Amino acid sequence: MWLTLRQIIMIVVLFNVSRANWWYLGLQNYPPREFNPLLSHKENCYRYPFLKSRQQQLCDLGEKIMSVVSSGTKMAIEECQHQFSNQRWNCTTYSNNTSVFGNVLSFKSREKAYVNAITSAGVAYAITKACSRGELNECSCDNKMQRKQAKKNWQWGGCSEDIRFGEKFSRDFVDSIEDIDSVQGLMNVHNNEAGRRIIRSSMQKVCKCHGMSGSCSVRICWMKLSSFRDIGDSLMVRYEGASHVRLGEKKRKKIKKLRPIRMDRKTPNKTELVYLDTSPDYCERNESLSLLGTYDRVCQGLDGCRHLCCHRGFQIRLRDVEEKCKCKFIWCCNVACEICRYKKEEYICN
Amino acid sequence: MAGGVILENLSGKKLFVLVSSLLFCQLACFLIGGLVAPTPSATDMVLATKCLYNDSNPWSYIRGDGKCFSYQSDIYKDSPVANTMANDIVFTFQIPTPRDGQTLDYSRWQQYLIGVLNFDIEYHIDTKMDRNLELTLDTKLGYRNVGDKDGDWKLFATSVEKRNLDCISEEKIDGHNYQCGLVPLFELGSLHHDYYLINIKIPVDEENGINFGLGHLKDVWLVVINQNGGFTSVWLYMKTIFFPFIVAIMIWFWNRVHMLARKPVLLERMLMTIGFALTLLNLPVEFLTLSYDMPFMLLLQDIRQGIFYAALLSFWLIFAGEHLMIQDSQQKNLQTYWKHLSAVAVGCISLFVFDICERGAQLKNPFYSIWATNTGTNLALTFIILAAISGGMYFLFLSYMIWKVFCNISARRSALPSMSNARRLHYEGSIYRFKFLMIATLLCAALTVIGFILGQASEGHWKWNETNNLNYASAFLVGVYGMWNIYIFALIVLYSPSHKHWPSEIDVNNSSSDTIEFSRLPTEPTEMSSLASFSRKSAFD
Repeated sequence: MWLTLRQIIMIVVLFNVSRANWWYLGLQNYPPREFNPLLSHKENCYRYPFLKSRQQQLCDLGEKIMSVVSSGTKMAIEECQHQFSNQRWNCTTYSNNTSVFGNVLSFKSREKAYVNAITSAGVAYAITKACSRGELNECSCDNKMQRKQAKKNWQWGGCSEDIRFGEKFSRDFVDSIEDIDSVQGLMNVHNNEAGRRIIRSSMQKVCKCHGMSGSCSVRICWMKLSSFRDIGDSLMVRYEGASHVRLGEKKRKKIKKLRPIRMDRKTPNKTELVYLDTSPDYCERNESLSLLGTYDRVCQGLDGCRHLCCHRGFQIRLRDVEEKCKCKFIWCCNVACEICRYKKEEYICN
Repeated sequence: MAGGVILENLSGKKLFVLVSSLLFCQLACFLIGGLVAPTPSATDMVLATKCLYNDSNPWSYIRGDGKCFSYQSDIYKDSPVANTMANDIVFTFQIPTPRDGQTLDYSRWQQYLIGVLNFDIEYHIDTKMDRNLELTLDTKLGYRNVGDKDGDWKLFATSVEKRNLDCISEEKIDGHNYQCGLVPLFELGSLHHDYYLINIKIPVDEENGINFGLGHLKDVWLVVINQNGGFTSVWLYMKTIFFPFIVAIMIWFWNRVHMLARKPVLLERMLMTIGFALTLLNLPVEFLTLSYDMPFMLLLQDIRQGIFYAALLSFWLIFAGEHLMIQDSQQKNLQTYWKHLSAVAVGCISLFVFDICERGAQLKNPFYSIWATNTGTNLALTFIILAAISGGMYFLFLSYMIWKVFCNISARRSALPSMSNARRLHYEGSIYRFKFLMIATLLCAALTVIGFILGQASEGHWKWNETNNLNYASAFLVGVYGMWNIYIFALIVLYSPSHKHWPSEIDVNNSSSDTIEFSRLPTEPTEMSSLASFSRKSAFD
């Protein structure tokens, strides 16, 4: 019996992948379905199948921090779906499955790189915001300082920005499941870090003067967190420019490092996304890979449709729609709209 | 009894020792600032918790017993009550936020508290916002101390404030935030209490157009700025150390002046004035804030600094003027310089009025900002522009006078070869030292400016991990403060009258003879610095 290469990959993939992932936290509000109300939060933490050992310890820190992680992951998945809404693979999630994205991400593809980056960023972002809100007691001032003297240190010299703790927690929580001796682990850790760094690099500096008679003898500056949409956008740019890499081992030192496949490219830096495998064809339906294909997808624009429909062509569907329009928004929460009726053209892939 | 100032009589070696020890002190100040002190101020970004207003409790707070019911999720996407009115949402900031599992509290060493708001407003095609929006904020500031009950907030100030919100959208894509300008919220001149609570409501009144046209307000950030306790203590100890030195040198100076048989001249009185101004600035009254509530500290600090700068600027002007060789009035007083000094006075008074309008009004209402209204902005700008114009005038005057002094000195120099050898050497030396001090002044001013610019530039680089242990901003502030102290100290020492005797000389009041050109009777009532008399004579020629 000769197995084709494709079949071997399939088997390896299926064997490897249908494993539970912490992304599952993002599919529902915390606590998840698996939460057993009869047990304490701590006991529950150690029973969640989708958390690995270090993550279970971190979960033990408190319900609050886990709900923040959960909302951050949820935000990240929503952002992924928004960013990929016009792509062949649209970041589909399966709520009945703890592996969340199905088997598609068993390929060490660009898409996996994006998902890793955005979820890792989502956790860091949500934790940062929660720290700023004063919701979490765990947020630390600075890891360099001793915990006992936190109060004195803070009064002496203030705190580092909350983003530092957010990044640290995300690194601890997200990267802990990866095995950095494996090439896949290296890729994931790299992309996780790239995601977190995007938050920092998309921050904006804001300054205020404080001095005698309003002069600028002392200029106080701080970094402003940008919206998560901006982070999703910048990651999308990185996704498009991701580098195809392979494992490059230095013979003498045995240092494992990712190197670009093409020799003329430079080694990707820490903010760039990397992938090991080329992406599968997302055009056709494939049950074993949990792929839906692009049939019946709504597309936009001629070029967009040509790409999304995999050159199969598309139909134009005319629909009478009633939609809210001329909305007038009144802070807070009041939206006064008129209802408009018009014919809407929709392009649908064959 | 004759003699000039110490500077002229000091041997080169002694001068060198003095200058190098002062430079050493300067370096020490810089290093203390850079290595011991933390950054001058700390900022905390606090994100508002959106509380639901509860009639039974005037305060909404987010930690402790009786905390408010808060919206966890996005109020637009899945609003729990669709018709919740804006008036029921309270943006709550409870500061300081907890860290490392501890409840932090403000220390009085942290001196002041400034709050600035930053609005995250999402762009939506349906709800476009005007570029300039007048916001009406219903604000309330409360405080609590360690040992008080969790809900025991006491009112500090409450006010309905109008602020201009300037937002632009660059991308014009749904889901992206507007770029909004900062909105100053409050300024507290004293950080007397342990915990503070800020409740902000953004009420909507369609009929009166209040807050009408505000977009999808997603989040409100409060940036809290306070002085770092470490910086305060380094700063205060520096002041405490400088204070007795300057006082001692002033007493020494005044004694020396009084040992002379004449009345103190204008320059000596100016030196005393500037010494007093510096002593006032050095006086570490901030220590009192550790036990008493002194909300006027920011204002007092500005006034003290203002007095010092006014004295320093006037001193430079008069210093240049006294070496300008005008022969008409022998005994000069402040009236001689009223034209020049009026520039300083106008500048300082307009800044003072501005300060009273801004920080003085904040004593009554910490939410007050002169920039919030258009009239206020115009008024503030008027004062600032007035101050800037008089500053410009001042520098024109000063440069002109210094230029004249140098012209006269170089003109006199040509007469030097015809003098006797000892005398010539001596006067060449004095000119050199005069120039030396002029250069020292320029150097101090230049260092301040360069340090300031470098500070602004180094802010531009935001590093990944600050491995750099030298804290530049503090080094600059402490270093410059030390520098002006050392500068004044040196001035008072070097310009105090010398008791050394000149080589004996016979006085004949004959200006044609070069040996007696610079001499005077021991009983002459005005014992001015010989340099000043030298220049005066030269102008006379």
